[in-house]
Amino acid sequence: MRTGAAAGHVGYYHEAILYDSDEHLLAVVLPFLLGGVEAGEPTVVGLGARNGELVRRALPGGAKVTFLPGGDVYARPTAAIRSYRKLLASYVADGARQIRIVGELPQAVLGATWDWWARYESAINHAYDDFPLWSMCAYDTRTTAPRVLAEVTRTHPRVAQPDGSHVPTDDYTEPPKYLTEQRLMLPDPVQRTAPTVELTDPTPAEARDAVRAAHRGQLPADGVDDLVVSVSEVVSNALRHGVPPVRVRVWSAADRIVVTVQDRGPGPTDPYAGLLPAGNGAAGGLGLWISHQSCDHVALHRDADGFTIRLTAGNPHFPV
Amino acid sequence: MTSNSASSTAYGHVCLAYDDPAALDAWAVAHLAAGLAAGEQVWLVAPGDPDSLARRLDRLPGRDDALRRRALRLLPVEHAYRHDEIVDPQKQVRAYATATTDALAAGYTGLRVFAEATALVRSVAQRDAFTRYEHLIDRWMRHHPMSAVCAYDRRELSEAAIAELACMHPETNTDVLFRLHAGGGEAVVQLAGELDPSNHRLFAAALHRADPRPVDGRLVLDATGLRFVDHRSLLHLGEHARRHDATVVLRTSRSAAARLVELLDLDEVRVEVLR
Repeated sequence: MRTGAAAGHVGYYHEAILYDSDEHLLAVVLPFLLGGVEAGEPTVVGLGARNGELVRRALPGGAKVTFLPGGDVYARPTAAIRSYRKLLASYVADGARQIRIVGELPQAVLGATWDWWARYESAINHAYDDFPLWSMCAYDTRTTAPRVLAEVTRTHPRVAQPDGSHVPTDDYTEPPKYLTEQRLMLPDPVQRTAPTVELTDPTPAEARDAVRAAHRGQLPADGVDDLVVSVSEVVSNALRHGVPPVRVRVWSAADRIVVTVQDRGPGPTDPYAGLLPAGNGAAGGLGLWISHQSCDHVALHRDADGFTIRLTAGNPHFPV
Repeated sequence: MTSNSASSTAYGHVCLAYDDPAALDAWAVAHLAAGLAAGEQVWLVAPGDPDSLARRLDRLPGRDDALRRRALRLLPVEHAYRHDEIVDPQKQVRAYATATTDALAAGYTGLRVFAEATALVRSVAQRDAFTRYEHLIDRWMRHHPMSAVCAYDRRELSEAAIAELACMHPETNTDVLFRLHAGGGEAVVQLAGELDPSNHRLFAAALHRADPRPVDGRLVLDATGLRFVDHRSLLHLGEHARRHDATVVLRTSRSAAARLVELLDLDEVRVEVLR
């Protein structure tokens, strides 16, 4: 039996908290957590240091709430899905009938890399739907850009309010539709300069060589190797599934290497491509999923001319 | 002429693809002359009768004397590789092992073979058997004083067919992207080059043909010469490990493979990063 607002709901009950004060945040989060504790449900906090401490102080002593270590669970969306799915599966294996989680994305990822976290927020409606999960994602409306908040309501079916109500969002959009919309990527400033190298229809081996050659010591060796893996996968996908010509551009900046791979096709048909492993581990669908976990940012861009993937190794956080 | 001269590959098993018979004969002459100079017994194995084989070595200094001393032997390909059309890998390796031992017993420093083997690899079934043989003889050569150049005619074999053969040699003049050959020390096989979507099926076939076996549940692969490996090839290694109920230990100088194995939950493959 599930409890609280999600009682009777099957699968994932996904909510946003759009708060503008500590009082607002606590008014939503405290009853949510205490309700979980009272029902004996695994009750988890994945907030940042400041809000985590705020909640910890407000909870009664000894409340059985698990605080996830800060760490880098929110370093990459695909890795976050993977680690949350493992966590949820372990709770269910231990007999949990509902799991409650309140979390928030670090402020840093709400800038230049927000696009892949918006895809995350949409995809998890599907990716966590085989678990009895009730979660709330907290966004501070005072500091979060309107363009980000607009995507939050499109990716969360409900907003949890401080008065205890759970209000459906008008513009919530089902993931398969949301994830395949035409979407423009924010140009990395380095893309306004001439690329270090540009290749047309390269073999994956040639593309790998171009990335290795562009490295001027600005990345650790592991970072370059992981980018080489990603570029190899994305180029071979474009050659196999895309429409020629396949253009690869590489920029070598002071603190990052940026690679775009463009073809004339419509891009992957699987809306979850990159965020979830396709086809039950079949080798063909894993390339983009691996790239999403090997790079520091992956942006997708669809327009009338085709499909572009941009891979960044190093610091992806340019000013927006 | 070879793509890799690192010492771990320099035991002298070379795949040579050619399209000019005159250039091939020039290679054979130079190669066999070097063997004679080093005190080895040298063989030319090629299609044709002994006279036509001798004519191919017209430019070999001291040819007739070497033939008289039996330091040089000319073997029509039908003689060196009996067993009709499809080679029997085990028997063929035993024959060369005996020949190596005999050469040493006769006072030579080793056995050096230059073989034109196109006639033995024309069909799919022939290549399947011959690539297995190539790996077995490669293991023999890695640890014994025998060396060989295996020459294949580009005018008669497809690039794909030549790649099947070339990737089983430590050295080759072809542009095959990876090589799988006998390893040294604890490593049963050694991998070099790059394994990617363009060749992962070829790699799966090579792995199946070489069929390296584990020792005490561990199959150690020396992949320090492997510049790149993708998840497809790691999955092939995982399947091979499961087939033999073993753990594949991949020794590499690059850590990306370790992260891929973790992403794939590939428990059968352990990556050891040697810096």
